Amino acid sequence: MKSIQFPYSVALRLKPMPPVFYLLLVLMLAAPGPVRSQEEVITSYRHFREREYSTGYYEDYEVRPLKQAPVAIPGVRIGTFPYSPSAAEVRIRTRLADSHRGIKFYELQQCKDCHPRNALNNHTVRANITCRQCHGGEPIASINHYFSPMNPIRRHAYICSKCHQGANVSFASYVIHEPFPADVGTLEEFPVLFAAFWFMVAIAVGTFLVFLPHTALWGVRELLTKKKGGAGGS
Amino acid sequence: MDHKSRIRILRFSPVQRLFHILLVISFLVQSATGVGRMFIETGFGRLLCYIFGGYGMARVVHIYVGIFMILGFGVHAVYLMFKVDWRRFPGSLFSEDSIVPRPSDIKGFFSHMQWMFGRRSFPPFDRWGFWEKFDYWAVFWGMVIIGSTGLIMAFPVQSSRYIPGWFLNVAFWIHRIEAILAMGHVFIIHFFIAHLRRHNFPMDRAMFEGSVSIESARHERAAWIQRLEKEGRLRTLMVEDAHPIRRAVYYVVGYSAMFIGLFLLFGGLLNSPDITW
Ligand code: HEC
Ligand code: HEC
Ligand code: HEC
Repeated sequence: MKSIQFPYSVALRLKPMPPVFYLLLVLMLAAPGPVRSQEEVITSYRHFREREYSTGYYEDYEVRPLKQAPVAIPGVRIGTFPYSPSAAEVRIRTRLADSHRGIKFYELQQCKDCHPRNALNNHTVRANITCRQCHGGEPIASINHYFSPMNPIRRHAYICSKCHQGANVSFASYVIHEPFPADVGTLEEFPVLFAAFWFMVAIAVGTFLVFLPHTALWGVRELLTKKKGGAGGS
Repeated sequence: MDHKSRIRILRFSPVQRLFHILLVISFLVQSATGVGRMFIETGFGRLLCYIFGGYGMARVVHIYVGIFMILGFGVHAVYLMFKVDWRRFPGSLFSEDSIVPRPSDIKGFFSHMQWMFGRRSFPPFDRWGFWEKFDYWAVFWGMVIIGSTGLIMAFPVQSSRYIPGWFLNVAFWIHRIEAILAMGHVFIIHFFIAHLRRHNFPMDRAMFEGSVSIESARHERAAWIQRLEKEGRLRTLMVEDAHPIRRAVYYVVGYSAMFIGLFLLFGGLLNSPDITW
């Protein structure tokens, strides 16, 4: 009888994994977590209490203004209102429950009378979305008020997803009131946009600068030449 | 078929012409829907969108035709893989028959300019003029840029899972400027060179019929014809002119494309002060 040798294949032979495996492992660690479209994103608490059960007091995931918004525009000054491209150095009203508290003749005017630049956004001028469909009824909360639906931590859920099903926090970092990219001010408010704009314009202008004169000269030159080649088109 | 009637030389294969006509149609649809949406605040834009069923539908058409273009671009890339002469690989990319730019194209540009100022005779271009190479590669990279930003914006919620949402603002402007560049180039420069300059007037049928008249090629692409004659290949490339009815169709297609393009161009220019940029 063949004697069984001990330990019988107990020695676990760990085959070395292919390097790709470790690469994948590292990549997995670097990958972003899943985005939950309807959650507030301030802490890693995933399952905070449903709103219906809220006492009005939330845990630390709720409503405290962040140092930085969940998805920040690179190059934009870190501050309390990173999402406000229109320079907000002196904005003091940006954390009020009623952003228009105490403003005279507010009731008598339209939004665009006082906020003309804000009326120039694609949602308004093209898709006929009214200001209030996003900013809500009275009182209009300031953007960064703790409980404002516009607060970047919950804007995606309370505003955008009304129309854009499944909107996530990254989607909500789209700048609705986009500054005009050619303006110098945009360099501070949205540097990436400014750079991309002028880069593309440089390419376009460069192309036309070379080829428009070239084409025009060519046309003139051929007018002055006796035509060679087949009659009527080639 | 006697040789006398073979007065034209083949420049484009049927597959290449198919690519071109599909590109013509989809480019015009994308231009019309895109310009229509961009100018929706004006009557011009509303008219364009109306044709496609309104502002919302214009977006739908734009997205579907855009995806069609991206697929076509993919097919074209596969086609290129078959077209490259792999046996003489790296060298073949820079041969005279290749559309890849070479240093001599820069020289070609300057000798062409000298010719315009009467400093020299018309330069002997080979199979592809530098302006044709530029056209090709401009469309090539334009497809990459417009296609990628367009895909991002077509599915904004999904794409912002992988890229930050503020990039939608950036993508929008890249898409817009690149599209303006593409339309300006096609509607002004490409149309002028292919239709209106005297040598080609009323229209260069090469991309529709596949062939150009040999006299015309002898003048415009002297080096190419010379090369073919030396290699003894010229004979094999000679073809007859198309039937007059087919020729008429080519003219109708070419001129419709041109008029649509010019309508968009002038409509856009005239209305550009009236929109929110
Ligand atoms: C009488 C002029 C006036 C009208 C009309 C008006 N606003 Fe305002 N609004 C202001 C002023 C002034 C502020 C404070 C701005 C500041 O501090 O920079 C303000 C602030 C705001 C803010 C908060 C900005 C922030 O930084 O958080 C929002 C949002 C806002 N307005 C939206 C609207 C909307 C929507 C309407 C139309 C329903 C509207 N406003 C109508 C004058 C007006
Ligand atoms: C699609 C939703 C949407 C619409 C429509 C909309 N807003 Fe806003 N608004 C936002 C968001 C999101 C912010 C904060 C982020 C930002 O500044 O882009 C904001 C910010 C503001 C601010 C704060 C200052 C600033 O520029 O950041 C003002 C004022 C304002 N909006 C006014 C208006 C007015 C007036 C209208 C109507 C003409 C309007 N909004 C339409 C979403 C909207
Ligand atoms: C009242 C409905 C409504 C709300 C609320 C709304 N949107 Fe929109 N949004 C639209 C419509 C309609 C369009 C399509 C406009 C068009 O076709 O040009 C649109 C288009 C967009 C686009 C452009 C998509 C593309 O093709 O590039 C972006 C980005 C966007 N919205 C972001 C937002 C964000 C971020 C919010 C939240 C702050 C928001 N929207 C809130 C209705 C809304």
